Amino acid sequence: MTISNSDRVRQLVDWLSETDIARLELRGPGESICLQREGGRIVVAPDEPALATEDAPSVAATAASVGVFLHRHPLRDAAIAETGTAVRCGQIVGLLQIGALLLPVTSPCDGVVAAMLLEHGATAGYGERLVELHPLPAGA
Amino acid sequence: MIEILSASALATVQDLGRTGALRWGVGTSGAMDPLALAAGNILLGNDEGAAAVEVPVFPFQVRFAQDCAFAVTGADVAARLDDEPLLPWWSTLARAGQVLQLGLPQGGTWRASRAYLCVAGGIDVPPALGSRSTQLRGAFGGHEGRALRQGDSLRVGAASDARCGKGIGLVPPALALPLQLDDLPAIRVLPAAQYTNYTEASRATFWSEPWKITAQSDRYGYRLSGTRLEAVSALEMRSHGIVPGVIQVPPGGQPIVQMRDAQPSGGYPKLGTVIEADLWRLGQAPIGGRVRFVETNWDDAMAALAQTRRWLDEVRRLVELQRSQRGGR
Repeated sequence: MTISNSDRVRQLVDWLSETDIARLELRGPGESICLQREGGRIVVAPDEPALATEDAPSVAATAASVGVFLHRHPLRDAAIAETGTAVRCGQIVGLLQIGALLLPVTSPCDGVVAAMLLEHGATAGYGERLVELHPLPAGA
Repeated sequence: MIEILSASALATVQDLGRTGALRWGVGTSGAMDPLALAAGNILLGNDEGAAAVEVPVFPFQVRFAQDCAFAVTGADVAARLDDEPLLPWWSTLARAGQVLQLGLPQGGTWRASRAYLCVAGGIDVPPALGSRSTQLRGAFGGHEGRALRQGDSLRVGAASDARCGKGIGLVPPALALPLQLDDLPAIRVLPAAQYTNYTEASRATFWSEPWKITAQSDRYGYRLSGTRLEAVSALEMRSHGIVPGVIQVPPGGQPIVQMRDAQPSGGYPKLGTVIEADLWRLGQAPIGGRVRFVETNWDDAMAALAQTRRWLDEVRRLVELQRSQRGGR
């Protein structure tokens, strides 16, 4: 799916004009779009450079879905991956809660957990960076 | 196949129970925590009532003789697959030869006592009278009509969907549908036929004081201890039909709650009945722990059952949505 496909944008503009929503941001893999209301019209807002994730220096585990980001499992008191712990590629470093469902947030590489980028219990957007990691060289 | 490596006793094959057989004198059996069993099955794409292994004594170990998606629900037992720690209420794919270890129940935010090992396709034992649950008293159903032993091998049924069991989990119903009173697990109870045969003070005590689950508690029944319940007059009753959840009061005044392996008849007076929607809460309450009873009525009991049904339906909707999205990529 391409968000910026002009037919899709037109469709979104039509939908938005029927609502009282002031601003809509959509983010997908490698692209994003922002629509906002100006007077009576819906216009495409310019990209905010702060939202760009492509040039980020460190590696991050990202949200594969919209959801509530959890540092720890709801049954447990301890964080799944404390800052400073070494994790393997694919290891679970956090959770995304969608209602009763829990999805894993996994490390994209062998590395060390550097920082949680979102509070426990905060809502994560699609593709949002959640856990910052310092990659370890392969075979380390 | 999965092979039982532990010598620890009392683990049994259970499903949602053998209903409709009381007329032949055959008790219900089935999981002490049917919500945990159903939810584990939903995670794996099974029918809610597929058979699983109920584990009440730890540590417990099995070896997978084949690749097999599984889920461990119920108590958080710090499960490990070989050396890898697993999250509670989580589905995982085991490779042939891997060993699953269930440790002691953890304190955490929910103190529970039984874990369920569900496998994609369910535990494939022959159904007896419409159920795969182990009927211990009658020595039939489940695996050879008995608790599992070291060296037993259990067949795994054909899984409906090979994509199941790839690392998703659930928020347990103990957190989604909490019920507590004074920091103790609360259990809703309908007053039963001989309720008014107990003194007003005893009835008040029953609702207002905590009840300890004694060591003489198992799948047959929970023997509770607390302030002695006094009858207005001694009752002589003939044996009559009883079901899991019935709270009997023997002459000693210490109540017994009939559980899943209850015999189908009994003669003690009945003070109340734990509602069906809350049997899992009691089934998970550990020996030595204390619970509170809350008086309810028929309408609220039915509403509670509908609420657990809605929770399961929502879980299935979310899991299937997730599976279709992953399958589409």
